[in-house]
Amino acid sequence: MFGTWLALHRRGILGINARNRDYIMPRNPRRHYPLVDNKLSTKHLAIEAGIAVPTLYGVIESEYDLRRLDALLASHPGFVIKPSRGAGGAGVLVIDSCRKALFVKADGRVLSHHEVAYHTANILSGIYSLGGVPDQAMIEYRVRPNPIFDAVSYLGVPDIRLLVYRGMPVLAMVRLPTRQSDGKANLHQGAVGVGVKIATGRTTTGVWQNRAVSEHPDFGLPLAGLEIPNWPQLLELGARCFELTGLGFLGVDIVLDQTLGPLLLELNARPGLGIQIANRTGLRGRLAAIDALGALPETPSARVALTCALFPD
Amino acid sequence: MRRLSAVVIWALIFAGLGLTLMYLKITRLAVPLVPSALATVWDVEARVGFEGRGSAAKIRLALPQSPRGFSFIGEDFVSRGYGLAVGKGDGDLRRAVWTIRHANGGQALYYRLKAYPGRVEGTGQVRIRQPPAPEVPQFTEPLASAVGAVLSHVREQSADAMTFTTLLFAMLNTADDENVKVIRESVTTEAWPDLVIRLLAAEHIPSRVVYGLSLGGDFADRELTPWLEVHTGERWQGFNPDTGEEGYPANFLPWIYGHRDVVEATGVDRIRVTFAAARSPMTRLGIARKVENALDTGLLSLSLTDLPVRTQNVYRVLLMVPLGAFVIVLLRMVVGIPTFGTFMPVLVALAFRETRLMVGIPLFLLVVSTGLGIRSALTHLRLLLVPRLASVLVIVIGVMLAISLLSAALGIEQGLSIALFPMVILTMTIERMSIVWEERGPGASVREFMGSLGVAIAAYFVMTEEHLMYLMFVFPELLLVVLALCLLFGAYTGYRLSEILRFRDLTRP
Repeated sequence: MFGTWLALHRRGILGINARNRDYIMPRNPRRHYPLVDNKLSTKHLAIEAGIAVPTLYGVIESEYDLRRLDALLASHPGFVIKPSRGAGGAGVLVIDSCRKALFVKADGRVLSHHEVAYHTANILSGIYSLGGVPDQAMIEYRVRPNPIFDAVSYLGVPDIRLLVYRGMPVLAMVRLPTRQSDGKANLHQGAVGVGVKIATGRTTTGVWQNRAVSEHPDFGLPLAGLEIPNWPQLLELGARCFELTGLGFLGVDIVLDQTLGPLLLELNARPGLGIQIANRTGLRGRLAAIDALGALPETPSARVALTCALFPD
Repeated sequence: MRRLSAVVIWALIFAGLGLTLMYLKITRLAVPLVPSALATVWDVEARVGFEGRGSAAKIRLALPQSPRGFSFIGEDFVSRGYGLAVGKGDGDLRRAVWTIRHANGGQALYYRLKAYPGRVEGTGQVRIRQPPAPEVPQFTEPLASAVGAVLSHVREQSADAMTFTTLLFAMLNTADDENVKVIRESVTTEAWPDLVIRLLAAEHIPSRVVYGLSLGGDFADRELTPWLEVHTGERWQGFNPDTGEEGYPANFLPWIYGHRDVVEATGVDRIRVTFAAARSPMTRLGIARKVENALDTGLLSLSLTDLPVRTQNVYRVLLMVPLGAFVIVLLRMVVGIPTFGTFMPVLVALAFRETRLMVGIPLFLLVVSTGLGIRSALTHLRLLLVPRLASVLVIVIGVMLAISLLSAALGIEQGLSIALFPMVILTMTIERMSIVWEERGPGASVREFMGSLGVAIAAYFVMTEEHLMYLMFVFPELLLVVLALCLLFGAYTGYRLSEILRFRDLTRP
């Protein structure tokens, strides 16, 4: 046990306690949390800054608003309903298409209008929100993922998680939905995370259920060697989120849309640490390397260039 | 690093404060570290009996003054109809003065003292001052020459006051010496200690008679015993005035020093003081409390035992809650066990305290599983959150009631204690559990539930530990130590044990 402890320490693995106390508390001022905890304000903020996001179709704010739901959905064959304060992908409902009066989920199961309305009402009552406070339901564009990950994702939309420290992307991973995660790209729910080299945008090794893996658990295909398109553009998008939120230790979730390119999905002020397993790399060393630099460049593009130079592998 | 040291400094301040208070209580007030230690306390009673003449009367009783070897933990006076004043009289003598306008017939006044035969520091000991050298007495012939011979003989052999006294007694107790015989026959038995004092005074050695009680067994109707004390230059040393043996009688409680009457009175006849003593057991804590009261040492004397018993019992429980919270800190921060809600396990542990663990766990499981079943049935009704929570709450209380009624009917007394469970906490647990169940599957849900239950059981064992309960109640300043520990763990940035498991694949090269 103690041997493992020392080995982890030597490899610079960041633990939850250290993440919270040494990085989140000093780098993420509490007053900026609402910007990221509420996806609606994140979205408004991003639109203002000119960052691409999935189009917002509408917001249901109250039980009374639910009457508008049918009209709102009628004009969009595919959409996503999500709680604006949800955590960990909870309460996200992805509708692929509309067949007669029924909605078809990503996995092919169908839902009636009633069921969709009930789900929305649950969101409003705060069942998925942090602390159970009443919430709003966001209805937005259903992303058509770039086919590059089609072979290694089970339904759902894979996304790319960047860990951005003081505006510098330090670690990255692709999160691929699995059968177990029910199409959700969240590691806690069973998605597989694949490490991505910051400098090249090429995938390396994976993590699934906290174990190091190198093949997709559902398909048995190798995870390494995939080239993520638009990588520099994607890194810069992540770097810009620092100015957007003022949060120094930030998880940035980005989806690659087939036609629209990288879209900012959501931000996380308490990013998970499984990304270290996916990359087989401890965070401490990289964070310390950045802190050792002193002042960092002002522009996102300069920071991205610096990151790529700093972490070539 | 700077932030860490600030935490450490605060933690040290709090811990230091708490431990210092505790240390002071232990040393100065003799508050014991272990509960239920019983000590013997002496109840000493002085009875002043007299006959009134029908006129104004004034009775003055000399009171003892915290002698060494004893702590006075309480005194009271029984003096019906008499005015009473307690104060310093001439010199250091403490006196009780009873007065009355008309004293008629046989009367009795009482002074009662609780004395603990053990020293408690700070109980106002008599300051030991170097007494002035006594006046050299003048002896008349033929005594003078006998005294002179004996003293010069002893003087030659002795080195200091102590050896002089010892040798003098040895000499006085050898009957064959002519001079000794002259001295011995010159006074009555009662006046003998006085003569010894005069002999010592001739040698400039201060000495005095002390009247006191030897507390052996229970007794009544006893008078004070005279004893001799010689000042050896550093302290007063007791001697048996008759045999010259060094030391004091067992459990000697000095009452009055020197040639003063224990009781003085005007306007009464046939006054007599008698003493009685009885042993009574008392907890050491009780003694410490009494001493505290007698001392009134400010902050230290604040104690939970001053509160009404009912409130005391509440605090007995409440003071254990921080310890339960600390268990949660340990298990979450260092071990990394997931729980439903931060302090839910503490509240469940509090319920277990009342129900006992063996009964509490099955009842807890019963209520939660029943509630969970009904909650999943409610899912199909598609109820909104708050009414649904309220419904689960109603059902939880219903289940609790059913268990109580059933167990009452079956004569199982333990089932009744279900009512002690915090039902709102149970409701929230059921709700959280069912949501985790739906979102992350039964595995995660049961795992988190077992985590909560395990933490609750650990907290239960800590919170019901007898010795810890005693310590927290008697030394509530230990809260500061718990606070210090919480501060320290608030700055703990090491791995959790669960993370060692989680990241184990990263240790491979």
